Amino acid sequence: MSDHTSRSQIRVAIVDDDAGVRVGLRRLCEVFELGVSVYASGHEFLASLDHGCPHADCLLIDAHMPTMTGVELQHDLLSRGVQIPTIVFTGDDPDTVSAHHTGLSVVACLRKPVESDDLIAAIERAVGAVVSDPDGP
Amino acid sequence: MQFLGARHSPETVQGSRHLAASLLLFVPLVFAGNEIGSILRYPDVGSAVLFVPYAVLTAALVVSRPRDWVWYILIDSIAHFVTHWPQWPMSWVLLATVANIARALAAAVLVARLCDGIPRFVGVRTLWCFVVGAVIVAPAIGASIGAANVVLHGASDDYWRPWRAWFTSNALTAFTMLPACMALFSYTAGLNRVRVERRRLVEGVLMTAALCATAFMLHEGFERANPAVTLFAALPILVWSALRFGAAGASGALTVITFAAIWSVDRGETSAAGPSEDQILALQFFVFFTAVPVLCLAAIAAGREAVVQLHRALLASLHDHVALLDARGVMFEANASWRRFAESSDAPLHRARTGDDYLAACRSSAERGDIMGTALFDGVTKVLSGAEQHVEIEYDDPEPGRHETYAIRIEPLERPDGGAVVTRANVTARRQAQLEIERHRGELSHLARVNVLGQLSGALAHDLNQPLAAILSNAQAAHKWLLRDPPNTEYLTEILQDIIDDDRRAAAMIHRLRSLLKRGDLRVERIDVADLMSGVLDLSRSELQARNIEPTSSIDPAAPALLGDKVQLQQVLLNLILNACDAMNDMEGPRRRLELSVASHDLRTVRLSVRDWGVGLPTDLIERLFEPFVTTKSDGLGLGLSISRTIIAAHGGRLWAENNPGGGATIHCVLPVADQPESAIAEPTSTLPDAVRH
Repeated sequence: MSDHTSRSQIRVAIVDDDAGVRVGLRRLCEVFELGVSVYASGHEFLASLDHGCPHADCLLIDAHMPTMTGVELQHDLLSRGVQIPTIVFTGDDPDTVSAHHTGLSVVACLRKPVESDDLIAAIERAVGAVVSDPDGP
Repeated sequence: MQFLGARHSPETVQGSRHLAASLLLFVPLVFAGNEIGSILRYPDVGSAVLFVPYAVLTAALVVSRPRDWVWYILIDSIAHFVTHWPQWPMSWVLLATVANIARALAAAVLVARLCDGIPRFVGVRTLWCFVVGAVIVAPAIGASIGAANVVLHGASDDYWRPWRAWFTSNALTAFTMLPACMALFSYTAGLNRVRVERRRLVEGVLMTAALCATAFMLHEGFERANPAVTLFAALPILVWSALRFGAAGASGALTVITFAAIWSVDRGETSAAGPSEDQILALQFFVFFTAVPVLCLAAIAAGREAVVQLHRALLASLHDHVALLDARGVMFEANASWRRFAESSDAPLHRARTGDDYLAACRSSAERGDIMGTALFDGVTKVLSGAEQHVEIEYDDPEPGRHETYAIRIEPLERPDGGAVVTRANVTARRQAQLEIERHRGELSHLARVNVLGQLSGALAHDLNQPLAAILSNAQAAHKWLLRDPPNTEYLTEILQDIIDDDRRAAAMIHRLRSLLKRGDLRVERIDVADLMSGVLDLSRSELQARNIEPTSSIDPAAPALLGDKVQLQQVLLNLILNACDAMNDMEGPRRRLELSVASHDLRTVRLSVRDWGVGLPTDLIERLFEPFVTTKSDGLGLGLSISRTIIAAHGGRLWAENNPGGGATIHCVLPVADQPESAIAEPTSTLPDAVRH
């Protein structure tokens, strides 16, 4: 688990069971100078909560995971009273997947493989702030 | 009379032209018969030694339709009156006529009924039926009326003496003359038109000449020699007639000999009162007991001839080519199909015909290096020596341009002398149908496989998306890093390496799917069972995750390798896993488990099992589950398990289902191992439950 957070930084938490996907997403977020923490499962993320508070402003989760799916994780968070804007990744049709997440704090449902522009736009929407592109115009 | 005619075969139904022809024959015969009958008779009981009209009338009745019978009966009665009235009193002649008619009617009905139409005397059974009807029962009826007539008119005080005279006379008449008369009337009525060969005609003429000579000898011989000895002289000619011309011929010859004997006895007797009753009786018995073996011989010979004809006709009617070999391998008979094929073929093995040494032909063909010749030589040798009971060889026509497939069957010829039957059949159509079935089976199996993968498509797409997602994120991150100045080459190298790894991961998955999706021929190879199982688990892992089912596997590391088609076995296992998943659809969390196990079953087989903790199988469906279109699912076609069983059977294995004691079901699959131990005696199926032994 890596943690590059600073006070001014936007912090994202990535939960995905696939190591390759985790690393790729982490790198992409880091390019945009976001603070990134990665977790291999929902349980791992729940264990990282500090007195019920997540170390992140935005949660990126995979809908399909063994042991605990994306929906289950959100329900768990909801039951703990943790509210965190969430972006869900799925290989299926995003519309049907987002229907499963109705009533939960899902900001966007993105189809895998996810484009960097879509991801950043979703994060911006989730945290209500602009992500600065260090290499942008 | 309808009930009488009911059992008559259609062949007795004739037109008026045939009735006229029969009457034309009947009239002279019956008048002459009455005259002949009066030549030699018992001195005081008025019964003839041989009463020809009985045989003539009965024969005419047997051969004709019941509605024509009245004509024959009328003419017979007239002839009887013309011959005997007014020498004898009217009442005597009248009652005697009644006796004659009753006797002939009884004989005709009984013979037609017992022998099922006109008796053909093929085999002893017909002869026996004929004897019961025409030689025993009918003469007894006639004798009963005739003897009463004699007693009524005061010619004899004793009832049984005239009865005996009437009975023996008529029995003798039926026995000697009736078969010949029936043949004669059948022929006249057009029921028995046979094409007579020239050789047979010559033989008939020769036999008739010999018969006449014998009759003449008999006639002359009675004066000088012992009559009995003279009668024996006729035996060779009687046997000849029986063997070559059947019961009709023998009966004709017997008639001639009997007449000759009667005339000789009559002429030889010098006393004015004529021959004594004992003399007549002795003559009758002698003729009777000569006729018994002669007619039996005729019936047996005809039966044998019929068997030979049937055998020839059967062989000729067979579409397959049939050749019979003797114990040395020499062909002594071949049917028409074999001969025609031999004439039309150029292949030396096909050209063998009757009289050729087939075994030698096979051997020389084998020595020239012909594989078929070797196989045939081995097969024929084994069957002839008794080492094999059945050899079957399938081969393609060796001649160029002929695209035919033949199957040769060699089987022992069941007879004391030994030998073999070689049957060759053109099985091209069957072979093509088999190939077609195999092709269809392959297509069906492929469709089922595509169907299985279709069910997995969501999970497989997710699996494929993971490396693609990683690649895209990495590539986009790398792209951004490249724009930095200076680019962090070390970090970029690390990213690129990850991209390469993820790409390979995706390619490997696509390759695995492609091999399952493509339509390929059966490819038998050594398969490591653990590899097979883990490959299948990899493919289904995402699906299991999506369904929240936890797979466990226990794989015996010592399980030996299998021999089979990997793709097809994967298909079967995937199918079983998906079925197990479906069975657990309605189950709650902790029970959603799936267990795959591989265990050495015995020395020859490995057992693969897929166990679920689902709803279990309805007991009445457990065995029927493997039949096509039988399913427990509302949306299933019911082909998956049926195709799976076909695949496993093609691998020499077995597939069966059972319910677990703790709930859920297990499908077991037993497959033979690649390296079969030679010492292993255990049957692969010996420990299977009863349900699968079939």
